[in-house]
Amino acid sequence: MRFQAVSIAAAALLAGLCLAGCQDTVNTIENRDLSMNPNSVDARKFSTDSFCRDRLALLSMRRSMTPGGVMMVQAQIRSERYGFWSELWSGFRGDNPYHVLYRFNWMDENGMEVPTAANAWQSTIFIPGETKFLQGVAPNSRCKDFVLSVMEDPNVN
Amino acid sequence: MKTYCSAVTFFAAVCALVLCGCGSPARRIDPTTQGVTTVGDVNTRDWNDVATRAINSLIASGALVRPDGRKAVVMISEVKNRSGARARTQILTNKMRQAMLASGKALTTTAVGGRGPEDNATRQVRELENDDLFNQATVQKRGTVIAPDLSLSGEIIRQSTHAGRTRENTFYFHVVVTDLQSGLAVWEDNFEISKQETVNIFGY
Repeated sequence: MRFQAVSIAAAALLAGLCLAGCQDTVNTIENRDLSMNPNSVDARKFSTDSFCRDRLALLSMRRSMTPGGVMMVQAQIRSERYGFWSELWSGFRGDNPYHVLYRFNWMDENGMEVPTAANAWQSTIFIPGETKFLQGVAPNSRCKDFVLSVMEDPNVN
Repeated sequence: MKTYCSAVTFFAAVCALVLCGCGSPARRIDPTTQGVTTVGDVNTRDWNDVATRAINSLIASGALVRPDGRKAVVMISEVKNRSGARARTQILTNKMRQAMLASGKALTTTAVGGRGPEDNATRQVRELENDDLFNQATVQKRGTVIAPDLSLSGEIIRQSTHAGRTRENTFYFHVVVTDLQSGLAVWEDNFEISKQETVNIFGY
């Protein structure tokens, strides 16, 4: 009986290893001494989704001005779904790669949302370990602040 | 036994009919997060996605900014659909013209367009100059309509492929803004939407 249980556990572990070994992850290399001087944004997060929170890490948030004088924001986000257990779990769930929707909303100096034709949810796909830059461009120069919303794609995950 | 088999068959037929009759009532949806996704067509979510990316790219490029500070006047030319799929390209151009107007850097003209004027009224009202029914002092004069500086055009093409039961379509959206004085493209970008499906062994 005990031998049977050990065999089942070993088989399960082997299956898990095989599944985890089938995952494709992204490996990155960058120069150590960075010469850029980004204008970083101090971000305040409000997360209601534990899945999204645990799977995506906000590495940085930067802003600059475009040649047309409007604000452009880039959020550097990395998929944290690498490692044995994460890959095993995502392999079982079948949600690898991770499909995400994001949207930027823009506010003027009075805190009022500025309507734009470009505030639809956009889709992007994260491979485990991949870093992406989610970019938003303000609709006009009156925009001073922004809100970035991120959610799992309900049609895929 | 025969009665039992008949009852089971009848019950199965009733169940099948009930299941086939199941549906869902009409409801409103958020077109940017919900909606049907099909491999062979450009769906509402795709249009929204491409329009948002195109608008962001165009605004970020600064191509609408004129050195003399005047707002650029943009005409909406043609976005050619060479994809073979049903695609209402006005969905893209309408969103882009709305964003250009909201940017404060450009104005769009409806007096001239790729497929003729979007609004014939600009020309029609000037034809009233010989109509004694109208007070001629209120009739719009000729030579006052502003000609465009830039034009927005584009093209949609599709690359299809399949392997076994897996079918894949990639739609390429190429959008260009041309300086009408020089004929040079001052901004252009490509956006891709790729969709894939694997049908079951019965082919649906």
